This record gives sequence, structure tokens and C-alpha cells, in this order.
Amino acid sequence: MITAWIFVAIALLALTALLYSAAAHRRRPASIEDAIQTMRSIDIAAFRNLIDPEEEAFLRSNLPPDKFRVVKRERARAAISYVWSAGQAAALFADVGQSAKHSPDPTIAASGAQIAQTALRLRLQTMQTCFRLARTAVLPGRKSLAPPVWIDQFEWTAEALQRLGRLRRHESVYSTSA
Amino acid sequence: MDWQSFLSLCLWISPHALLAAVIVLLFRRRLYRDFPAFTAYTLYETAAFVLLFVLTRLPRVSGDQYKYFFLATMVISLAFRFGVIEEIFENVFRDYQFLKAVPKHRLMWMKAILALAAILFAFYAPAENPARLMAGLAAVNRGMAMVQSGLLVFLLCFSRILGLSLRNYAFGIALGLGILSTVDLGTSALRTQFATEHGIVLLNVLSLSSYLICVLIWMGYLLAPDRKAAHLANLPNSELEEWNRELQHLLRP
Repeated sequence: MITAWIFVAIALLALTALLYSAAAHRRRPASIEDAIQTMRSIDIAAFRNLIDPEEEAFLRSNLPPDKFRVVKRERARAAISYVWSAGQAAALFADVGQSAKHSPDPTIAASGAQIAQTALRLRLQTMQTCFRLARTAVLPGRKSLAPPVWIDQFEWTAEALQRLGRLRRHESVYSTSA
Repeated sequence: MDWQSFLSLCLWISPHALLAAVIVLLFRRRLYRDFPAFTAYTLYETAAFVLLFVLTRLPRVSGDQYKYFFLATMVISLAFRFGVIEEIFENVFRDYQFLKAVPKHRLMWMKAILALAAILFAFYAPAENPARLMAGLAAVNRGMAMVQSGLLVFLLCFSRILGLSLRNYAFGIALGLGILSTVDLGTSALRTQFATEHGIVLLNVLSLSSYLICVLIWMGYLLAPDRKAAHLANLPNSELEEWNRELQHLLRP
């Protein structure tokens, strides 16, 4: 009797997941502006502080072990939310790239495919970082992992992308008024 | 003919009539080249329906003979569905060679875990149905439905989390098949508990309705214009390369 109801519960959960993904699929595709906005909303300085090994060493030496574990867990959780946002920005860029990939213009399609590839690679990297940070949150006693390789470039790239976005807006306003 | 039989007959015939329209759409839009396994599956389902329908009209065919035919077509249909799922996975990850390894490993693990869970559940599932063959096949059907709906939920969730946008056709096929497998899983589990005549009729209606919904989903997604193509007007042209260069800086520190 219980086994049958477990099956029914699994089926209902799966059906909910399927209906959710159907609803999500119908949402408006992302624009470059959405992607840049998400990227710019990430406070890289705060994120750097959260994963700084020196900061961690300082906390380890100045806090009692149980308090240190609590603080490290909280810092890991906060860092996960930053990395997750970076991953979401990458996913938005991937969405834009995949839209462009279906363009009848071969140059746009090729550029779109490249953007999608790059953004998906970045998304994978952020997911891996999230898993690592989650491990730190679960096992705070273990030594922290090295900061992700992409973080040094993140701030610079976000600024460059925003400049491009501003330029594009400016051009579209100029072409409309002309 | 009472209203329950009439409803069941309508729900049995209508999805297959619509499935024929799906086949026409697949050929008219030349989608059989992208989805050969799905095309084969729809052709098979239609042919199996015609065969079973003819068998129900032949007075020489006994109930037991019909049951064997029904079970044989059901098993082949389950095998076809695995082919369709494999095809959707291929279709989604075809353009991303670097991503292929990730879902392949995950998929292998998913298949192993789901198959193990299906075997365990089939082993411990109550078999109140007196016909042993039917009970055994119901357990197989339940297990396969679990594996299939698990794989499709995994595919849709994984691509959602990763930011992979499925094209309308692949998404529609996956969604329809996912709903069909999920309802199959639920109804086959409930069949072991509600063995009364009324309960079986109700579950049959539920199964047939889900099949009708599934075919309508396929049809809807095959008829709808591609969402991605419609959105192209908002995209910048020459800047795309520059966006990509900037993004690549993140991967090459």
C-alpha cells in the first residue's frame, strides 16, 4: 500500500517539475541588458572578502573553533549567492547567444553560437564553484579551496560589458533621432 | 454501449487520429530528419492502434489473445520511448561538445539509480492482480515509466539550471513524453490498489486522457512558430562578437 503511494507521490513531484519547466519555457527570452544588469549587480569586492584566505586565517586565529565554523558557514552561504548570481548572468548571456544562433544571417548565427558556448562554459564553472562552496558550508573545518579562476576578470569584464551596453543604447537613440 | 465505454472509445481513438496529424506535420516541416526516432515512434503508435482496433472488431480473437497483442505492443512502445529520449538528449547537446561529457556521466548515473529504484520498487510492489503476467508487466511498465519520467525531468531541469534553451520542438516532445510517462507511473501504481471494476475504468480514462493531452502538446509545439526566431529583432548585430570577446576574458584569466 505504502509503495503505491510513494509511486504516486513521485509521479506528482515529477509532474510539478514538468509543469514548472513548461511555464519557465514560455517566459520572455533574455536581453543583453538583463544579462549585464545581473552581472553588474554582483559586488565583487564583497565576494573577494568572503573567499579571501587571509581573512579566513585571521578569523580562524581570532575566533573559538565552534564560532569560527558558524561564521565560515555563513560566509560560504553568502559566497554561494554571489556565485549563483554570476551563473545566472552567464545563463542569460547563453540565452541571448542561443537566440542569435537561429538568425538567418550566418555572421550573427556564428557570433551567437560563440557567445552561447562561452557563456555556458562560464555557467558550468560557476556551478562547480557553487558545489565547492557548498562543501565548505557543510564541512567548515576543512581548508578552503582556492578562489575561482574567473573572479579576477569578472569585475573588469562586467565593466566592459556595461560600456558596450551604454554604447549600444546611445547608438540606438542616435539612430532613432536621426 | 454505456457512456463509460463510449468515453473510453473516444479517448482511445481521438489521440491516435491526432497522432496521424502529428505525423503529417513532422513530414511537412521536414522534422523527421531532426527527430527520426520520434517519427518512428509516432508511426509505430498509429500502426499499433490500427492493429489493436481491428483485433477488437474481430469476433475470432479472444480476450486473452487480445491481451497478449496489447502487452507486446506496449513493450515495443516502451522501447521506442527510450529511443526518443536518447534522441532529445542528442538534439539538446549536439552543438556543445564540451557539455556532452557532463550529461553523459550524469545520465549514466541517473539511469543506474533509476533502474535500481525501479527494480526495488517492482520487487516490493504489491501484486494483488490475480493474472501473474499482467501483474509482472504492470511492474515492468511502472519501472520503465519511472526511469523515463526521471530522465525527462532531469533533462528539463538540467538544461534549465544550465541556461540551455531547448528549441520548441525538442521541448514539446520532451514535455509531452514526460507527462505521459509520469501519469503512467501514477496510474500503474494506483492500479494495484484499486482493482475494482469502477476503479479500473477511472484509471483507464485517466491514462487515455493523459495520452490525448500528450498528443495535443506535441501538436501545439509543432504548429507554434519558433520562439527564438521571433525574438531576433531585439538582438544587436555587429556587437555580438565584442560581447563574446569580453565574456571570453572570464574564461582566460
